[in-house]
Amino acid sequence: MNDYKNMPDEQLVQLSLNNQDYFYYLMKRYEIKLLRYIKRLTTVSQEEAKDIIQEIFIKVYRNLNGFNPKLKFSSWIYRIAHNEIINQYRKTKLCSSIIPLNIEDEANLIDAINDSIEIDGAYENLETAERVRKALSELPDKYREILVLRYLEDKSYEEISDILRKPPGTVATQINRAKASFKKIAWRHQLDKELIK
Amino acid sequence: MADISKDILEKIKKEKMRPYPKQYFLLKRSVVWAVFGLSIFLGSIACAITLFQLRYAQWDLYKHLTHSLTEFVLLVIPFFWLTFLLGFTWLAYYYFRRTERGYQYTAIWIVLSSIALSIIGGGLLYSTGLSEKLEFVFQENLPFYKKLQESKQKVWMSPEHGLLAGKIIKIISDQKVELKDLKGSIWIIDIADTIWRGRLRPVKDLKIKILGKMQAQNQFKADEIRPWKRRRGSGKKHYFRCIEKK
Repeated sequence: MNDYKNMPDEQLVQLSLNNQDYFYYLMKRYEIKLLRYIKRLTTVSQEEAKDIIQEIFIKVYRNLNGFNPKLKFSSWIYRIAHNEIINQYRKTKLCSSIIPLNIEDEANLIDAINDSIEIDGAYENLETAERVRKALSELPDKYREILVLRYLEDKSYEEISDILRKPPGTVATQINRAKASFKKIAWRHQLDKELIK
Repeated sequence: MADISKDILEKIKKEKMRPYPKQYFLLKRSVVWAVFGLSIFLGSIACAITLFQLRYAQWDLYKHLTHSLTEFVLLVIPFFWLTFLLGFTWLAYYYFRRTERGYQYTAIWIVLSSIALSIIGGGLLYSTGLSEKLEFVFQENLPFYKKLQESKQKVWMSPEHGLLAGKIIKIISDQKVELKDLKGSIWIIDIADTIWRGRLRPVKDLKIKILGKMQAQNQFKADEIRPWKRRRGSGKKHYFRCIEKK
């Protein structure tokens, strides 16, 4: 088992093609990450998130031969997850008004969006936290997702470009627009007085 | 807590799922590239015919239409083929974006590159003479296309600006013929000092285009007479070599 822990994804992909059992280790590697990603972008319950992840892993397995080794496996699996979330969204309108980001996620996001935002202390105020949550949920889906990928999933511009299938320049532009859009919404919610120095 | 990955693996095994074969993805990629290539090729044909039509648009006529150069240019531009070019460019863009790394390029880059490829391809097809052959084939086999091209000839119904077109209905003498124009009016044409292009001779039922001067109501002095349209296979050298009887 320890051998597989250090094995690169690409090698596990090759092994999975010959023996399904190896696919387990690949899934294990991404199970928590993708569950978290789904929860960050949607309002589904834990059970629904598990259903989505099952769909994702099955699609990944069926398409293993289509994986291009020039791409990072993590980018490829996130792309499949992104597409599956969109599919589910179209079916059931998963993204409702409030996105259930946890306090730590919100803090990380805001911290990354604007260095000048003061989050310590402000988060002790639950009312403020609720307003931050609302502000985030007001962001258009495309902006919310790009911020989540960049600042919560810690993906590089190139990786985001591979995941969302957009040119790297467009990714950079959208990140800037998403940040600007969040600042505007925060101002509207009068969060600037409490969060921004 | 349940092991989701384990459950999924069991489902995969139970339902005997297997990864799609490599050939499936190879075929998928090949189809995408093939459609992209085909779009560029069809765009090249549209470009080739556009070049051909622009080349033989008789630009010298604009001198006779100084009051409306815009109208002349609008008549000359082959919108029909430009629309096709845009359509095939969109198709090329759509499929290029679906190639493995196509998403890394911006829309404007893909569109401009596709147009550039179509222009290069169109230039090559034009130089081989294929555009002329295709133009003839379309005009012979597609009535709507023939009608569309002929509607462009309405520029010739401008006698006050020295342009007239129609069919010779009577040879009055060596110096005069009777012509029925495109609207059905009868004209007496003075052909005494006329230059006949394309080895034309005054023949009854011959459809012609005339450059000259309106002398009076239904009287026109011809300076130059051109054939109504070119014939296929005549090539650039024989562009005006045609006597069309209708």
